[in-house]
Amino acid sequence: MTAKKTYIQSFCSIQNNEIILNGETVFNTEPTVFSDFSKKAYQNFEMNYPKFFKMDSLSKLAFLGAEILLRKEIDATKENNIALLFANKSSSLDTDVKFQNSISDKENYYPSPAVFVYTLPNICLGEISIRHQLKSENSFFIFEAFNPVFMVNYANVLLNTKKAEKVLCGWVEYYNEEYKAFLYLVGTEGNTEHQKETVEKLYNK
Amino acid sequence: MNKGVAITGMGIISAIGNTVEENYFSLVNNKAAITSIENIPTVHKAVIKVGEIKKTNQQLADELQLAADNNFSRTALLGTIAAKQAVQNAGISSINEYRTGLISATSVGGMDMTETHYYDYFENENLVKYISCHEGGDVAHKIADELDLQGMVTTISTACSSAANAIMLGARLIKTGKLDRVIVGGTDALAKFTINGFKTLMILSDGYNMPFDNDRKGLNLGEAAAYLVLESDAIVEKENKKVLARVSGYGNANDAFHQTASSENGEGAFLAMEKAFQVANLKSEQIDYINVHGTATPNNDLSEGRAIMRIFGENKTPDFSSTKPFTGHTLAAAAAIEAVYSVLAIQNNVVFPNLNFKTPMEEFNLVPQTTLKHKNIEHVLSNSFGFGGNCSTLIFSKSI
Repeated sequence: MTAKKTYIQSFCSIQNNEIILNGETVFNTEPTVFSDFSKKAYQNFEMNYPKFFKMDSLSKLAFLGAEILLRKEIDATKENNIALLFANKSSSLDTDVKFQNSISDKENYYPSPAVFVYTLPNICLGEISIRHQLKSENSFFIFEAFNPVFMVNYANVLLNTKKAEKVLCGWVEYYNEEYKAFLYLVGTEGNTEHQKETVEKLYNK
Repeated sequence: MNKGVAITGMGIISAIGNTVEENYFSLVNNKAAITSIENIPTVHKAVIKVGEIKKTNQQLADELQLAADNNFSRTALLGTIAAKQAVQNAGISSINEYRTGLISATSVGGMDMTETHYYDYFENENLVKYISCHEGGDVAHKIADELDLQGMVTTISTACSSAANAIMLGARLIKTGKLDRVIVGGTDALAKFTINGFKTLMILSDGYNMPFDNDRKGLNLGEAAAYLVLESDAIVEKENKKVLARVSGYGNANDAFHQTASSENGEGAFLAMEKAFQVANLKSEQIDYINVHGTATPNNDLSEGRAIMRIFGENKTPDFSSTKPFTGHTLAAAAAIEAVYSVLAIQNNVVFPNLNFKTPMEEFNLVPQTTLKHKNIEHVLSNSFGFGGNCSTLIFSKSI
């Protein structure tokens, strides 16, 4: 296996009521709750995908980030072999807690299938796959903190073994109104070399 | 054709038998085991029929000679029984002699214990031990402990394709030389969690499941565990091992359609089968028997049927059957028990019958094999599709 150079082609972060694409603010709102912020972002970018409103917050966060980076990337007329490599710290705990609350009282017990379906973190990868018709590799990992070494290695393996043409990497953390998404697209062409230090720097920006 | 990875042992416990031999006897004698629920106190007892293993947890624990204060879930009990059989069948006496791993699939894990004791954990200290058996990974580690296995242990949970992915991962680890030997398979016990969950989705049959029938009304759940022992050719040669059959092909794909439904055209299933043929280096016309996923839900059989027609071509489909009318749909264990059935089909040169079939589906001209058929079987393709768009295909081949 010859390890070819890989490149960060675009990156996006979502936090504090703001969306930044390739270092520039593309959307922001006054301080508000995530449900309101995400709805306004959805409207601003005219995403036109009503299933968005059924999603839990983690999926909305991942979906928005993927939407911003992939909207110009996807060619609907062909197979887009873009792998999804995501991670976070709190898994789907935000939704798990909501679900647990709905069954904690024996007398007032109502588990909702619509909530239950989001009690796994990798559901957000499914939402992105369905939206962009990606039949590619996908994995969701849980780490104590953003792990650039792991992400860089894993993405490079996917590209070097030709399992994917590009890899959409993402850190999508959401718990209790605290959120941060950092997504970036890695490919075999570009100007910004895909290295641990660069990924770390962009994440901390 | 690629040589594939040697299968040198197998073990199984299901509603139709407690051993490989018993399962085979039931399959060739039309002995289905879809019955009323006995082991779980549920309000649906009278209406819902399942493929249940008619042994209590106590009986299973006694067979395994577990200590009285054990915290085995039913899933772990079944898994340990099947895995021990597989190891014994492979003639393994010193399990850590080679780099040996265990890849076990489950979807319910210890949910049966959690749902039984959930509201009592704060009150009853003696029950607290069951909390740690809830997570899926606990099952594999319990099995590994019972086998004294010290190597790699991991769990795969991709819904109803779980065991297929466990077998696939195991085969890849052998092929790439990461392991010399690996025990692969899956286990799932019945639980209210799945009974009520599938009922909510309205895909449970009120009678006996009828795969690929126009009037099919849904699935019967089942419980089972099965494991295969895969070994490197170096071990096979060195120890002059008997090879039961080989895992020659595998593939998995993402349907990218819906959380709990399969796409209309069976895209994920099509891609999984296509990849498996590439890995096996086989052509579709070389397949002698398809053990279909065939859950008998309206959605699965239509989607799978369309994918099969796309892969094999109109009127070129080989003999196929679903064995789920015998066992029920055993979820994460399904691909493992059907792997055992695929090997049995190869060893005995038989196609097992698809019970309960009467009327072909109006959407296409696909008619399953409804009676036991004897013919030479070189290659069997086995499908397993799960929620989350998880589609997997395995191909098993006669060892030459």
